[in-house]
Amino acid sequence: MKNKSKVLTLIIGISIFLITLLCWTFPKQEYSESERRPLAEKPELSIGTILSGEFMEGFEKYVVDHFPKRDNFRRVKALFSEYVFNKKDNNSLYFADGHISKIEYPENIEMLDHAQERFDFLYDSYLKDKNVNVYLSIIPDKNYFLAEKNGYLSIDYDEFIESFKNRVDYMNYIDLVPLLSIDDFYRTDSHWKQENIVDIAEFVAESMGTQAKSQYTVNTLEKPFSGVYLGQSALPVEPDTIKYLTNDILDSCKVNYYDTGMAVSGDIYNMEKAMGKDPYEMFLSGTTPLVTIENEKASSEKELVVFRDSYASSLVPLLVPGYSKITVVDIRYMQSNFVGNFIDFDNQDVYFMYSTTLLNNSLAMH
Amino acid sequence: MLFSSIPFLYYFLPVVLILYFLAPKILKNPVLLISSLVFYGWGEPKYVFLMIATVLEGYIFGLLIDKFRGKPSSKIFMIISVLLSLAGLAYFKYADFFISNFNSVTGLSVPLLRLALPIGISFYTFQILSYTVDVYRGSVAVQKNPVNLATYIALFPQLIAGPIVRYADVEVQLTKREHSFDKTAEGCRRFILGLSKKILIANTLGELCETFLQTPDTSVLYHWLFVTAYMQQIYFDFSGYSDMAIGLGKLLGFDFMENFNYPFIAGSITEFWRRWHISLGSWFRDYVYIPLGGNRVKRARLLLNIFIVWFVTGFWHGAEWNFIIWGLYFGILLTLEKFFYLKNIERHRFLGHIYVLFFVAISFMIFSAPNMTEAVVRLGGMFGQGGIPFASAEFWYQLKNYGFVLIIAGIGATPIAKNGAYWLQSRIKKKALFDVLEIIVLLLLIIVSSGYLADGSFNPFLYFRF
Repeated sequence: MKNKSKVLTLIIGISIFLITLLCWTFPKQEYSESERRPLAEKPELSIGTILSGEFMEGFEKYVVDHFPKRDNFRRVKALFSEYVFNKKDNNSLYFADGHISKIEYPENIEMLDHAQERFDFLYDSYLKDKNVNVYLSIIPDKNYFLAEKNGYLSIDYDEFIESFKNRVDYMNYIDLVPLLSIDDFYRTDSHWKQENIVDIAEFVAESMGTQAKSQYTVNTLEKPFSGVYLGQSALPVEPDTIKYLTNDILDSCKVNYYDTGMAVSGDIYNMEKAMGKDPYEMFLSGTTPLVTIENEKASSEKELVVFRDSYASSLVPLLVPGYSKITVVDIRYMQSNFVGNFIDFDNQDVYFMYSTTLLNNSLAMH
Repeated sequence: MLFSSIPFLYYFLPVVLILYFLAPKILKNPVLLISSLVFYGWGEPKYVFLMIATVLEGYIFGLLIDKFRGKPSSKIFMIISVLLSLAGLAYFKYADFFISNFNSVTGLSVPLLRLALPIGISFYTFQILSYTVDVYRGSVAVQKNPVNLATYIALFPQLIAGPIVRYADVEVQLTKREHSFDKTAEGCRRFILGLSKKILIANTLGELCETFLQTPDTSVLYHWLFVTAYMQQIYFDFSGYSDMAIGLGKLLGFDFMENFNYPFIAGSITEFWRRWHISLGSWFRDYVYIPLGGNRVKRARLLLNIFIVWFVTGFWHGAEWNFIIWGLYFGILLTLEKFFYLKNIERHRFLGHIYVLFFVAISFMIFSAPNMTEAVVRLGGMFGQGGIPFASAEFWYQLKNYGFVLIIAGIGATPIAKNGAYWLQSRIKKKALFDVLEIIVLLLLIIVSSGYLADGSFNPFLYFRF
């Protein structure tokens, strides 16, 4: 090529300056839909922030977060990592059997100690010597079905579950594992699909001595569901679809949310959140410290208290037919020592329902 | 500011290049100086004043050394200048090391200073030292223009991670630089290749190293995997930085010396150090080893000279005993080669490679640790100490996860890729096709590297100790 150096210089130079121009002028956004997080704000420019280094630190985060077409560039990175470097995971996320999942490894004994300590506290403070039946289920995350068989690092789930059961042997264990398969989970998210866990709800109710059988109408959410792993992985995978189950019993329930300590009435399915950043939050309004569901059409007077993580959001509605009242507590958003202010523990079933992911990362339990 | 960052690539550098090429010749150095001070101040603004003071010290003593040339006071000014430069380095970099060792020996509790180390202080201190010593020796003319001297010291391409540019090498270029499309194109190539080496290879292997350092699931083989990845990470990071510095230098009309020449293909440790961090090795040779008498002395003195050079080489890399041990370890190997078996291993090239890789791996394990205690633990782990298993689940996974990157890095650390490109160039009949291919590859490397940066991927700065 004649003038090879000239052509190379001009093409590279123009490309760099074009990206520069886009960096400087591209419209800024406040929120990343794909990563479900607020993006860094422009740092304050002052002598003080410059001398302290705050401006520079903030600016570096700001320009990374607002890089033009950032999701596309992240996808380039994800694809390069997978297909050129032949890396098995990208930021601990991997794609196998049509699912995106996040490696959960290694088993964290300190976190298990913390979870046990919280459960012991709840039991000793509210449940011991009371007229209550205490149950536990541990929900295996998607890696249980995907990791080992696809050559990814995996904790020994059977040993994990067995050892935690033994730590809290005052609880009656309800084993859900035989009823689960990878198809019961969203492809792009960590959670399970409500339409696939009706049998699990029936089994749980039966194990606690009640019946939760009911007929449901399956509704499909129009908005595509890009699960939490889809945005994080930046991989080109089709979003999921959320389906939710309704019937007369669920429609007639009286539901109260206690986000601020005061009761605010609502519905089992929050359709506003269904259209929001994380549509899975439509189930029991997502992250809520305390929810009560009263069912006047219940076949028994039994009450249930559920200590839970987000997996329970979609399962608890399916337990409603079996109970006159269900109280759902999330000790990630409520101090355990406040629980007694809201619940009088007497003559109830108490169900601890936690995923392996949360137990292995239990620092958020208060 | 890191070269491998969005603020540098798409904010700082384009603005500097525009200003630089728009500026008339007389303003080019002032533009470079101000840009370099902004670049330096970006990380730690207050140390810009330290940098300016250091430059002034070099400038004033350079003038004094020159003014009193031929008189004893010239030597005194040179010594004062050297001592002042070393005092700054000792205060900021080594004070806590000396205090903590003093406390250990005496049982006292003298409080540590806990100063933030000015970035690049080891590099620019050595540049000033070389300037004042060379002025004293008469091998360079004194620089009477303070802006030109400050531009040399603070020049951002080589400021924080080298290469250690001698004043003698850029003396002429400070006032007379050639700008051409050939040089600019070469600068683009070197910069993009260096950027890719740092972001794609070094940072990826850095993730593996970080994972290893945090895992409870360790094993003997995992230690070896770690040290293999760590060697490559340091090489690709450091040589990538040098490539970027050399490339940026060419964009601005400078020619900096090469700093790496495929060190892992060396057949002896002697050859390794001729290929690794060349600018540092030659600096110590010219400003420490030869002034001490070099090898034209009696054997005992020669051994002392070698000991001193490798002690300070280790100490230059970090204010901890493991760095000193690391330097002395190489000093011992080089001495053994010099007096016993260098010629033998040079005759058996393959065995020489194995020997170099093994002993360099050991050295990098020492280098990787934050202190000597941890270095001993890590070295022990390589040989099964501490009751760790031979292999662990995580080792096998990470071997599969990073195996291909390690192979690419292994090939990239040899001249195979470069020779392959030359071979391809010679085989393609239409030269234009190769030229187009080269431009496409460079553009793709920019896009992929930007993808890694936009993702906020692991991007460590390894030169905070220097």
